[in-house]
Amino acid sequence: MTRSQHRHALASAVAGLALIAGASAASADDLTLYCSVQEEWCQAMANAFTKETGITVAMTRKSSGETYAQIKAEAANPKGDVWWGGTGDPHLQAAEEGLTAEYKPANFAELHPWAQKQATQSGHRTVGIYAGALGFAINTEILAKKKVKEPSCWADLIKPEFKGEIQIANPNSSGTAYTAMATLVQLLGENPAFDYLKQLHVNVSQYTKSGAAPAVAAGRGETAVGIVFLHDGVTQAINGFPVKVVAPCEGTGYEIGSMSIIKGAPNAKSAQRFYDFALSPAAQATGAANKSYQVPSNTKSVLPEQAPRMDKVKLIDYDFKKYGSSAERKKLLSRWDAEVGAQK
Amino acid sequence: MNRSHLSWLVIGVLGFALPPWYGLPTSSSAPWPPSGLLASFGVAPWLLPIGLFLLLPAPFVIVRSRLAGLALIAAGIGGLGYLVAQGLAIGLRGWSQPLLADLFGPLATGQRGMGAGGLIVAVSLLFYLTLGLAARGAMKGDRFTTGAIGLVVAAIVVFVFWPVSTILSQAMVADPGQSAIVALAERLTARDIWSVGCVVSATRCGVFWNSILLAVLTGVLTTLLGLAFALIASRTGFRFKTGLRLLTVLPIITPPFVIGLAVILLFGRNGTVTQFMAEYFGLTATRYIYGLPGILLTQVLAFTPIAFLVLVGVVQGIAPAMEEAAQTLGAGRWQTFRRVTWPLMRPGLANAFLVGFIESLADFGNPLVMGGGYEVLSTKIFYAVVGAQNDPGRAAALGIVLLALCVGAFILQRTWVGKTSYTTVGGKGFSGTSAALPRVVKYAAYGTALPWALFTFLLYGLILFGGFVENWGRNNSITLRHYITAFGLDWGQNGLLWTGRAWNSLFTTIQIAAVSAPITAALGLLTAYLLVRQRFAGQSTFEFMTMLSFAIPGTVIGVSYILAFNTPPVELTGTAAILVICFVFRNMPVAIRAGVASMSQIDKSLDECALTLGATSAQSVRRVILPLLRPAVVASLVYAFVRAITSVSAVIFLVTARYDMATSYIVGRVEIGDFGLAIAYSSALIVLMGIGILFIQLVVGERRIGRRDPVQPAARPAEVTA
Amino acid sequence: MTRSHSKAGGVEFRNVSRRYGNVTAVDNVSFRVEPGTLVTLLGPSGCGKTTTLRMIAGLESASSGTILIGENDVTLLPATDRDVTMVFQSYALFPHMSVIDNVAFGLDVSGVGRAEREAKAREGLAMVGLAGYEARLPSELSGGQQQRVAVARALVLEPEVLLFDEPLSNLDAKLRRRMRDDIRELQQKLRLTSVYVTHDQEEALAVSDQIIVMNKAVIAQQGAPADLYLRPASRFVADFMGASNLVDATVVGRDGGRASVRLGEATVELADASAGVDDVSIAIRPQAIAVTRLADAPALPVSVRKATYLGSHMEYLLDSSVGELFVVDPHMVATVRAGESAFARFDPTGMAVVPRAG
Ligand SMILES: Nc1ncnc2c1ncn2[C@@H]1O[C@H](COP(=O)(O)OP(=O)(O)O)[C@@H](O)[C@H]1O
Ligand SMILES: [Mg+2]
Repeated sequence: MTRSQHRHALASAVAGLALIAGASAASADDLTLYCSVQEEWCQAMANAFTKETGITVAMTRKSSGETYAQIKAEAANPKGDVWWGGTGDPHLQAAEEGLTAEYKPANFAELHPWAQKQATQSGHRTVGIYAGALGFAINTEILAKKKVKEPSCWADLIKPEFKGEIQIANPNSSGTAYTAMATLVQLLGENPAFDYLKQLHVNVSQYTKSGAAPAVAAGRGETAVGIVFLHDGVTQAINGFPVKVVAPCEGTGYEIGSMSIIKGAPNAKSAQRFYDFALSPAAQATGAANKSYQVPSNTKSVLPEQAPRMDKVKLIDYDFKKYGSSAERKKLLSRWDAEVGAQK
Repeated sequence: MNRSHLSWLVIGVLGFALPPWYGLPTSSSAPWPPSGLLASFGVAPWLLPIGLFLLLPAPFVIVRSRLAGLALIAAGIGGLGYLVAQGLAIGLRGWSQPLLADLFGPLATGQRGMGAGGLIVAVSLLFYLTLGLAARGAMKGDRFTTGAIGLVVAAIVVFVFWPVSTILSQAMVADPGQSAIVALAERLTARDIWSVGCVVSATRCGVFWNSILLAVLTGVLTTLLGLAFALIASRTGFRFKTGLRLLTVLPIITPPFVIGLAVILLFGRNGTVTQFMAEYFGLTATRYIYGLPGILLTQVLAFTPIAFLVLVGVVQGIAPAMEEAAQTLGAGRWQTFRRVTWPLMRPGLANAFLVGFIESLADFGNPLVMGGGYEVLSTKIFYAVVGAQNDPGRAAALGIVLLALCVGAFILQRTWVGKTSYTTVGGKGFSGTSAALPRVVKYAAYGTALPWALFTFLLYGLILFGGFVENWGRNNSITLRHYITAFGLDWGQNGLLWTGRAWNSLFTTIQIAAVSAPITAALGLLTAYLLVRQRFAGQSTFEFMTMLSFAIPGTVIGVSYILAFNTPPVELTGTAAILVICFVFRNMPVAIRAGVASMSQIDKSLDECALTLGATSAQSVRRVILPLLRPAVVASLVYAFVRAITSVSAVIFLVTARYDMATSYIVGRVEIGDFGLAIAYSSALIVLMGIGILFIQLVVGERRIGRRDPVQPAARPAEVTA
Repeated sequence: MTRSHSKAGGVEFRNVSRRYGNVTAVDNVSFRVEPGTLVTLLGPSGCGKTTTLRMIAGLESASSGTILIGENDVTLLPATDRDVTMVFQSYALFPHMSVIDNVAFGLDVSGVGRAEREAKAREGLAMVGLAGYEARLPSELSGGQQQRVAVARALVLEPEVLLFDEPLSNLDAKLRRRMRDDIRELQQKLRLTSVYVTHDQEEALAVSDQIIVMNKAVIAQQGAPADLYLRPASRFVADFMGASNLVDATVVGRDGGRASVRLGEATVELADASAGVDDVSIAIRPQAIAVTRLADAPALPVSVRKATYLGSHMEYLLDSSVGELFVVDPHMVATVRAGESAFARFDPTGMAVVPRAG
């Protein structure tokens, strides 16, 4: 064997060792947090928890769909401890599939009923941490220029003057849009709801991939109306865009942002501490401080000033259990695909 | 028989006896795992046979028996087979299949993923096998070649084939009461894939047609533009070549979304250009850019430089003597170009098209931002996994369709290039002058490339500008706010504080890119060497497998990596290694293509000659082939480095808090419409990658083979550089 | 380096074959190359010469059979580990290295120190007459100079066996003649074992100690140049060695080692290589026929189709009862003109009996 082959052999061995050395891991009092709200809020929440408990938090921010897919893929050997934030459906689905663990938080009694219901209907595998109602983000400049009256009801959106002026996410890809579809089904009944969606389709310029994208588009003037969660619209307004949020007059659905402990979490103790902490008023105040204006789930939490007032919004009695189930979801989505999505 | 046998014997045995067999535990308070030897007599008695396999060839090797080769082969096959079998059979909690527990009785303990010991032993056993085969005369007895084939095949099987087949098999996961075949067939024939509704009725067309149309257009346009740039850069006296090259490189080093954002801000309904048109020409502002036009525009912007990189090596590699020969045979400039230069560029063109086509198919960021209602396979796959559907089976089926498309492209390219010999770098030394371009070609090249360059330039000016304004499009006051948010520094009591929010992901990104780029280039060029310079059974299959990871969209790769590497025997999730490996195998195909294209232009007798002069294959690669391959080395390093920084779809699933990547941070910003910070961070990344590329160029250098300057045909002596 | 080459080893092929799919490039070939000699592989294009050479170098593996170099079995040994160097048809100079680096390359990779390898490389270059060209790049040399660099590069390693694959085919005729003499001189001076591939019989005759004629993957004949020239064993060899007249003849009598052969109207006494068969062919060199107007006893009547005056000799094309004959006749005294009838007289030393088939 020549010198160079020796070197070759040694190099591979060393490279192999380096690869392994890279695989060393975290220390004992840790928490791995999967976070599905905005990055600032995630960061602030992680810092607040560390400050409170001294536990180091390793936080990863991903959308709720991505996180759900990851937790599912990791199920045989979980790497995360807590999944905090993101719309409630994938949390419920994870609970249904036994990917998350049962835990009843200490301050459970302080929570709003909607947050408690989220927990009870999943066998305490998840719990509500905030709520946000569905509505319209409206670009006031465009409407003023086109001299069109601002829409205030679902029924307004199918009027001809909104042709090409409406954006909503694709329910296949976005939980927000699915919530909207389920809301309409609960509001109008299934067949009338699909008639409505077909009429709405004529006015929709684009079904976006992500749920909050129509709010961004409304802010930028790419569309006049986006169907989104109200707090996403508020964020745009706060960022200086001419956006106004409107809750539809007929009533509307809402999401319950949720939190779950991952089953088989490596740091289950820390995860439970985080669970309790996240439901405290102090922790929930981090949202508004970081430009997230959802309604906190603890009754003692202060409602941020800019948050859309839930008491001014006509909320329907959204059936999370039914419309969160895989069967119902599949049925509605394939009907939407066939009757709405396939149209030109 | 020889020292390499002995070396690997020693490495293998030591690897079994000393380092921990298993990966290090998650918590630092847990004890250090035992070595393979200790575990064999303790917690994991099933490891003992591996040690026996390792020792099996020892007597033959030590007495230099003629049977050493056979013994090594037997130990290699037996050892590797047993290693894999026990790894798959015994998981974290004992037997991984209930059947096995019934058969052998329950196990008290399970095992974690392999660590340093496991890896060293696995590699040693692999080299047992390849050394044994070489000793039996395989590949003309060349240990380097058999070893390299073994290494590449093993790596691809473990890091491409296994994860990909894991996820593709999801396409067969059936609903209760449905057979696997029916489930697969149903998913594969879904209407939203194949529908031709847009032609025959008022419904939408299937994603298959959308994707293929987009990919063909992108492939053709990028190849032509890339060719125009390559011709200008190497065959004309154009004076701003450096500027031109820089400009063509810019889109490569642009993080995803950024070009899309800039295009929206220019051509969107409320964009500058659109509004300008509306105001002065009375055109109605519409959303014309969303859909095919927008995706095509951004993809061509993004991928033209890759075509350029592939083609410039080829154009430069055409031996002037051939063109001179044609000219002396009475061919005019046009005839020379048409009959000699063009056919010689064919493999390069085919490669460039293939790369553009596949890039377009696998691209995710641009269709996401610009797509509007135009759905393509890659985005559909992403949302089948993460969207409200949560249907990995559907994603897998779509992945199969996408894969089939790429295979088709691959076969097409092979038939087009054919078996003609394109050797133009011979052993006779170069001399002569590259032919000047015919006028038509020259003006066509200028006419397409220069406006395009100008447009790119404009776009980048805007992007740079966008990072410094308060809120682009609404409030154009100048501010440093975004940069401070991202890259703020502070002096605290303990010295420098990295207060900016981007620092963490930036450092990780640079480290991972810097580690993965050289590995990617090395493995890619090694594979190219095996493909071009060696002949072995199953070579086409081998080639196809190396292209596999490229053809599969990042999302699928990301999820497949989690599925495959989250549990023993190979446990990598949450580490930096999984990111590095993912990048290496995703970006390797481009290094392979670049290497193949360049290497087929180098006369085989050069490396054969080195062999007869006593150089080992490794030496001939390093001393003879590599220096002649510099353009390909640069291309591979640059591509791998840049791709590791800019790719997004695969890493979204693989990043963790400790190893967060820049792009996944930027995506979060774009999602909420915080374009300022996204653009500021992207601009910083662009500058950083620019520096990285300059550094690579500087270190690797140019290929010097003494060719006369193409511009001044007058007898100017060639530059002499040792 | 001028000392005689002590480690020169022989080469031996024992029943070696090489197959590519269903093409057999070399078919069950056996031969020996004695140490210190130059053996030429001669044959038409595609007959398997290069393949044979590459198997000696280790660049091609044998499908079956055994290859020995200096009594050691090297069949499974890779090219790197064989003490064999090769001069390629394309020269294979490394375009990115200077001339001196090219020549020193082999020494460099085998770990020879800088000073020593440069000295040896200079010596090698001087030997091929290229002193002073050290710093140039290959692209700055003429074809002949490049060829010499390739030779120097192969020589400086003092290999056990030196191989040449049509080393002169890219050079002009004059240069070719000079280079082949130089190569032969160097080889004899250094007592190198060499194997030389060419398809040019004149070149083969000029440089070789032994010639192996190959045809369609097998050895047609093997022997010293004069042997092959004078005693071709088959029509193929005769033809290839430059005997351009092959005519059918009949053996009419045998006496000891000699045979009387009937050639049309003429009868010639030749060494008997007919193996008892009466119907044979005869290879007749153009120089072994004399054209005369006088009818001698064994002469063959012919008519002259073409007569060309070439200063030193005449060339004739004759029609006869045994077929067409090509003649090179140095007798310039009584030349015959085209259209005349004449007689062909045969010189038995320039004629050989070969089997009619093959
Ligand atoms: N790599 C190869 N694959 C297939 N056939 C080959 C290969 N190399 C040589 N051959 C075939 O083997 C025969 C002998 O080739 P070669 O040894 O190169 O002949 P030459 O005597 O002209 O040097 C030819 O018919 C050639 O086509
Ligand atoms: Mg040949």
